[in-house]
Amino acid sequence: MKFLRSAGQQVIGLFVSDWVQSAVILVILALGWLAVSKLGAPALVALVLLLSGQLVWFARAEARRAS
Amino acid sequence: MYQQIFIFGAAFLGSAVESTEALTIVLAVGLTRGWRAPLLGTAVALVSLAVLVVLFGQFIVTRIPDSALKLLVGTLLLLFGLRWLHKAVLRSAGIVAMHDEERAYEQTVNSLREALTNTDWIGFVLALKGVFLEGLEVVFIVIAVGGTGRGLPAAVVGGLAAMVVVAATGVFVRRPLARVPENTLKYTVGVLLTSLGTFWAAEGMGATWPLDFVSILGLAVIYFAASRFAVTVIRRPAVA
Repeated sequence: MKFLRSAGQQVIGLFVSDWVQSAVILVILALGWLAVSKLGAPALVALVLLLSGQLVWFARAEARRAS
Repeated sequence: MYQQIFIFGAAFLGSAVESTEALTIVLAVGLTRGWRAPLLGTAVALVSLAVLVVLFGQFIVTRIPDSALKLLVGTLLLLFGLRWLHKAVLRSAGIVAMHDEERAYEQTVNSLREALTNTDWIGFVLALKGVFLEGLEVVFIVIAVGGTGRGLPAAVVGGLAAMVVVAATGVFVRRPLARVPENTLKYTVGVLLTSLGTFWAAEGMGATWPLDFVSILGLAVIYFAASRFAVTVIRRPAVA
């Protein structure tokens, strides 16, 4: 049982280390989907910039928490 | 052709990182308590993982429509890759300690020495758990990297090659592979998987990338630049 729980946690942990960050990534993707359907390829630029931006933002937030 | 090489490379590097971590556990158990139980545990874990790959790989490739598959796998790959990249940024900036196979090995050996029992179950379960759980990541990387774009054979070969190379090296040196630049590898794979995830997720949304698969290299450059910027912003000054 302990092994199964550990395996379950490991599987979730593959994709999620910070629930807020994961939620933000999913929201960005949802917005990207909307934008791509309306604007096409130019929306990809915004999608990539937002995903890069959240990487910097959450790294900075964790660094602040750690200090 | 380039697509197949890229898929092979991403699967190989990602699988090599996880195989190194699994090898550390098996070596620690084998050198402390004997080889029979941990090798059996490793074999059981590998068979279970092979069954997972065959079942899920076939199901995913044959049953799920292409665009839905790209969106799903792209999203999961993006979450997975960004998690690795986030950790790599924090490690590079000195916020989080670097992963150390030598220390992981010592910790496992110490915990085994403290276990006052003669049964081989401990060695069996530790090896099974270590190989299975680290192997789950290998399975995900192989299926996600190769599951779309007809790249599954290249990804499977990349994953298997990594496991064979790491296992052979482990048999040869009989020590944890502390010299494998694991953190650098994780950083590289994080960038690659994040780029691949973005590419497939957007294709699943119905977008068409300029220059098709070549645009993944452009994505990798952007994510690498963003991660270096993050490292620069949060880097801790060295203590004099």
